[in-house]
Amino acid sequence: MKNQFKILILALVFIIFVIIFYSALGTNNKNNTQVMVSKKLPRIELTSLYEEEKKISFPKINHKDYYIINIWASWCVPCRDEHPFLMKLANENKVKIFGINYKDSKMNALTFLKELGNPFYDIGIDSNGQNSIELGAYGVPETYLIDDKGIIILKHVGPINKDMYQKIVDKIK
Amino acid sequence: MKLFAYIFFLIFFTQSAISSSDREIEIYKNIRCLVCQGQSLNDSNSDFANDLKKIIKDKIDQNETDKQIYKYLVDRFGDWILFDPPVKITTVFLWIIPLLVLILGFYVLYKKVNFIKNRDD
Repeated sequence: MKNQFKILILALVFIIFVIIFYSALGTNNKNNTQVMVSKKLPRIELTSLYEEEKKISFPKINHKDYYIINIWASWCVPCRDEHPFLMKLANENKVKIFGINYKDSKMNALTFLKELGNPFYDIGIDSNGQNSIELGAYGVPETYLIDDKGIIILKHVGPINKDMYQKIVDKIK
Repeated sequence: MKLFAYIFFLIFFTQSAISSSDREIEIYKNIRCLVCQGQSLNDSNSDFANDLKKIIKDKIDQNETDKQIYKYLVDRFGDWILFDPPVKITTVFLWIIPLLVLILGFYVLYKKVNFIKNRDD
């Protein structure tokens, strides 16, 4: 009887260990880039790319529609790849895109927009990258979709591609 | 007298500067550079690491505690940014299992020794 009890306890411990390790196999122990999703957009204030005296602040209070924040730079090659998608989002889907120009020179940024088109409703400068860190950004390009309550509902690290474009369009419909 | 005051001033401020920098380095060592291959902020010179270092330094200058600084980073980048996983419901087994195995080992050893002792008697 005593031996049977011991075996039962050992079997139980073994089963618990198997369950724990098996469930741990499915968990994400790598970097999760979606930590900011479902959180309120942190408060940041940027200087406008066009006028030094003008400030652009986030989140946009009492903003009735969804809007996009895109972190970009003229020196960033993947930003050129995603630019047609941003143009499409602004022109065809009528969503406001706010740009954060990351560690860039004003002249290069304006040349970039002149060359490829300007999808941005407004652009703020993040000359030292500190405001982008505040948003939980890793670098450029990065895109955030914000809902009417100021909650981040989508975050994309890297250039927008066809699939991501469709995902954004579906969310803003 | 002036010389002593000057030396005291120099030692005091150098000392406080060193301790602040030591604290920064301790924090950098516990923060993972998320865009690097297994490097800490302290080992990395990437743009991302340098931006985070600047923010941590600013927060130390604003007298924020280590706990507040780690929370700020975890809120934005998740637990993965820390080299030491925090004790949470999801990670508690990581901390408890080694202890349980140790206790179980001692128990088995104790039983075995007792068994041999009784057999020899």
